[in-house]
Amino acid sequence: MKRIAALTLAVAMPTGSSWAAGIDLPQWESAEESGAYYLGGGLWPKSLIPDATAAAAEPGSSAVADVLAAAGIELVGPPAPGRPLPGASVAAATAPGETAGPPQFFGPAGEPGASDPSLQRVKENPDGTFDIPEEVVEVEAYEPLPPLEGDLADLYFAHAPVEYLVDPQRLLTEQKSNDIMRFLEFHADESKFRIYVMVVGDNQKVPEGVDLQALHKKWFSEEPTVLMLYYREKPELTEMVFNDEVRNSLPKSVFDRILQNCLREGAVADLAPDQVEKMAIELSIQLYWLSRLMEKENPDHQSLVAASSVHEMMASEDAPELLREYAPGIFIDETSKMLSFVLTFVVILGGLAMIGLIGWIVMWWRGRESLSGEPLLFPEFRLPRRLGGEFSGGGFVGMSFELNEGAS
Amino acid sequence: MDHEAASCYSCGYSEVEAAITCGANQVMLNRVHDAAHCLRKQERDELAETLDFLEAKFPQMLFCAYLGTLPGNLKISELGFWLLNHGQVRGAEFARPNENGILVVMDLNTKQIGISMGYFAETLITEEDAYRALNAARPNLINAEYGEAIERIFLKLGKVLDKQGRKLRKLTREQIHATLTGQYKNVLDLPPHLSPNQFLKNPPSPDERLGEHRKTA
Repeated sequence: MKRIAALTLAVAMPTGSSWAAGIDLPQWESAEESGAYYLGGGLWPKSLIPDATAAAAEPGSSAVADVLAAAGIELVGPPAPGRPLPGASVAAATAPGETAGPPQFFGPAGEPGASDPSLQRVKENPDGTFDIPEEVVEVEAYEPLPPLEGDLADLYFAHAPVEYLVDPQRLLTEQKSNDIMRFLEFHADESKFRIYVMVVGDNQKVPEGVDLQALHKKWFSEEPTVLMLYYREKPELTEMVFNDEVRNSLPKSVFDRILQNCLREGAVADLAPDQVEKMAIELSIQLYWLSRLMEKENPDHQSLVAASSVHEMMASEDAPELLREYAPGIFIDETSKMLSFVLTFVVILGGLAMIGLIGWIVMWWRGRESLSGEPLLFPEFRLPRRLGGEFSGGGFVGMSFELNEGAS
Repeated sequence: MDHEAASCYSCGYSEVEAAITCGANQVMLNRVHDAAHCLRKQERDELAETLDFLEAKFPQMLFCAYLGTLPGNLKISELGFWLLNHGQVRGAEFARPNENGILVVMDLNTKQIGISMGYFAETLITEEDAYRALNAARPNLINAEYGEAIERIFLKLGKVLDKQGRKLRKLTREQIHATLTGQYKNVLDLPPHLSPNQFLKNPPSPDERLGEHRKTA
């Protein structure tokens, strides 16, 4: 804008330098204060934004300066941003004995002397190969976090965590934190295994005097719990702490495989919130299979596993491979399902047949006509006579056995 | 029927009527008296074995059967009543009076069968049990397997007697007496007569009825 004003002034007043010198022109801002104006939206990396050298080589600017000098107009103030002084720019742009090159337009600047800036970035080697420069990726660096000491360390390790996600430094986004918290609460409701996730910075370390295993034993000795210590965007440093009883009940390889699977899931994502979310979900799945494995290995844990409602879920095709290898018996396939159905049917049928047989035996026993045992004597009494009969009073029960006739 | 009644309230039937019809004399009966000659020897032998067993099991009871072709004016209930009061079963001991008798009467003319019981047998076997025993033998009777039918009837009644005997063992003497005299179960009794005694016509005595019979004869 200031440049346009200077050009207008030079065209409108070719003469009259005497009074022109008295015009109060605005001053250019200094190069340090003005900063750089980049082509908008971050479309190009910084390295591709035209710098001062490219701007100095612009031919239009030196020509204008010459015209102004010939007209006796002296520009007051510092040069425009990204531009050298008029006298120095010409000297710098044109080497001694070298004519001025073709006009260069404002845009990405390559190496000096190259005609096409886009081609300047690809170098052809003598053997016919090309060197393609690496794309410059802008990496947003986090500001370093303070070490875990004093009050900050107390926020993590002084007391047993109340919530399942421990992130006092707000290293995760609020939305993701809520999502992860909700998932961990859901997992705690459905499974006996609790998951506590501690999020620390990538450059932070657990203090020397803090023993996670001892803290876990102190805090979570009552119920099976997994404490996952996650370092921001460094999932490979993740630590998991299990109960001693759980860890002693199964070989170490099982827990190593669980950690590996969680790390694999975490490595899929780049950002810390996504990593924590994926690792928590994977850990939940792994703990489900761990409970199944404990049921298989130790019958004492059956009550523990029976309390989990997700226990009855059928094994899916994407069930963790480590458990499939270690204990294939816990996976329910269609064959065993059909077999159990047939067995149930046979058992029910056999039960009904047994009940029928017992009933038939009872009926036969009650209906049998054989009599056994000792002679039976009845007590005798003198009974009154009737109808004049000496021995019988006419007690009679009769029936007709003629067909189509009933009893009489 | 009414206990201690001299004759039937409705028809006036009594032992005198039976004696008038069938005679007042005593008759000798076999244990299985096959007057109709419808039993084969094998059936008779098997029935005799069953009766031997039942007599050994119940030393006080008398089991006998009469199979005949009765005239049209004689009902099997009347014949059963008369046979128990006038019959003497051959070979029956003194311990088996007719009072303890269970007589199966069958009329092949009318295809009817019935059970007549003495006073003591009535106290042990109810009408329902007797009918149940007859009904169990109905398939054999329809198929003219009379020996097997009578055998089955006696066996069923034997089971009833056995069951009744086991019940009586658990009762005291007073309870047994009350049971046998029908104080507990008196379903056969008629309700008390509603008419005043003075309006009831006294039934003729046996001597008067016998005299009337002689007059008519």
